[in-house]
Amino acid sequence: MTMREPHVAEELRKMESEYEPLLPVERKLIWYTFGAGVVLLAIFVLISRWFV
Amino acid sequence: MTNASTTLNRTTAPSPGEATAIAQTRLTEDWLAVWIGLFVFALSLSLLFGIDLLGWTVTTSVWTVPSKALAPASKHYANLPAPLSLAAAYFFLLVILLVAVKTLRVDLKRFAVGFTAVFIVSYACWFLGSWAYIAATPDKRPALKIAWSLNLTNESGFIIALLAGLVVGNFLPGVARALKEAVRPELYIKTAIVILGGFLGIAALEQRQLATSVIFRGICAIIEAYLIYWPVVYFISRRYFGFSREWAAPLASGISICGVSAAIATGSAIRARPVVPIMVSSLVVIFSVVELMVLPFAAQHYLYGQPLVAGAWMGLAVKTDGAAVASGAITDALIRAKALAASGVAFQPGWIMGVSTTVKVFIDVFIGVWAFILAWVWSAKIERRPGEKVRVVEIWQRFPKFILGYVATFLIVLAIGVAVPGLIPKVKASMAQANLFRAIFFLMTFFAIGVLSNFRKLWQEGIARLAAVYVLCLFGYIIWVGLLISWLFFHGMLPPTLKG
Repeated sequence: MTMREPHVAEELRKMESEYEPLLPVERKLIWYTFGAGVVLLAIFVLISRWFV
Repeated sequence: MTNASTTLNRTTAPSPGEATAIAQTRLTEDWLAVWIGLFVFALSLSLLFGIDLLGWTVTTSVWTVPSKALAPASKHYANLPAPLSLAAAYFFLLVILLVAVKTLRVDLKRFAVGFTAVFIVSYACWFLGSWAYIAATPDKRPALKIAWSLNLTNESGFIIALLAGLVVGNFLPGVARALKEAVRPELYIKTAIVILGGFLGIAALEQRQLATSVIFRGICAIIEAYLIYWPVVYFISRRYFGFSREWAAPLASGISICGVSAAIATGSAIRARPVVPIMVSSLVVIFSVVELMVLPFAAQHYLYGQPLVAGAWMGLAVKTDGAAVASGAITDALIRAKALAASGVAFQPGWIMGVSTTVKVFIDVFIGVWAFILAWVWSAKIERRPGEKVRVVEIWQRFPKFILGYVATFLIVLAIGVAVPGLIPKVKASMAQANLFRAIFFLMTFFAIGVLSNFRKLWQEGIARLAAVYVLCLFGYIIWVGLLISWLFFHGMLPPTLKG
């Protein structure tokens, strides 16, 4: 954590011109998490309907 | 939110010392909620030993004549004048809260003054909301001798308290500042949730199979919320709005998971500057109020035939503990009133709110785990820091401690009921008394949320882009996926109906 107090508006504007591209590891995090969510959704719905 | 709530209206970063103080206060306020809630719960259980320690507290009935609205809760105190009963409730809460907040090193005099105002306004709103023309359900109109009513139940007092808070927060900044010490929505709602655990324990005792199903489905629904909400919001923030990783991760957690707590935990996990989660938290609070004012009425209109879907939806879609459980309470009242008016079905109170609370509590449980996972991904894969290790103990450090109180009251009631079934009526009476304090804490939560919601922030320079992501993701994705998940897990399940 830094002591610098940023000016939020200026910082958010700067982000548009200095875009940080998505890293492969971020893409993996996004897709693996989402994929796990969809698969688990199907499994849990089946379990909740049939067994609980 | 806790002490962070008092910093939500700032846009500059707190110093590292301040950030540490916020974190420490969060922890302390969580524990305070546990102890206050357990104290009220323990006093209410005195009925099991034939002693009525809380029966003097005030209860408010739906009224047409104001002088007949208030009364002591228990027949043991029937001779106590109603105004004294109300004053006793005020002094009782003032004293235990003063003792509690002393540990937070707040200015006790300012707290006492602020709390007095918060209590008076909140209870006045409850009183107004209990007016028969606002509150009465159709079945009660003949007894009250009225021809019409808005059918909002006395929980409309919550909405009135919220509106009163919004007026203070947005139009009377001087008053809001004067009340600051006592405007603690997270302390109030967490205390209420601890007390609520016992009340839900009674519901679980009476309907064990249904309660087991609700708990299992609650766990399933929240896992989905983390895995399906978070990556999509993160992707949209990064890819389409160009946010940096430092902003996108807390934003995704704030929108997807549990608002303020999740944004702060994520910000800390990825080593974001304090200003980032604080800005996100400001948005979370503002939009929670919007959701709180819209979603329960939408649920009443479209989901009154699927009450538990509506309850889960509130828990999954409304951010911050206070707003989510509060939305559950309003939805509970609105749907029960509509179901009774439309189809003559009288659902037992508390089940819809119980589902909202269960879902929300499970979401909170996983915040620490999620923050741990993100901390590991960031330190090991994204911003590699040689020699730095993420400690498992951080999961416990981020664990919301008030949940322990909720689980404790739930299990104690369940254990007593299972071990000695003959005591169930007395436990029910005990929880009914504790529940009166739960309602007061709820009321103060609504008022406090309103006071802290400064809508003018939305027009502040720089926040528009953050708000755009929030609006798009919340109203275009989270709410609808939350509804779908709630539907998948809870449709066809109905709360028990009242007998007779």
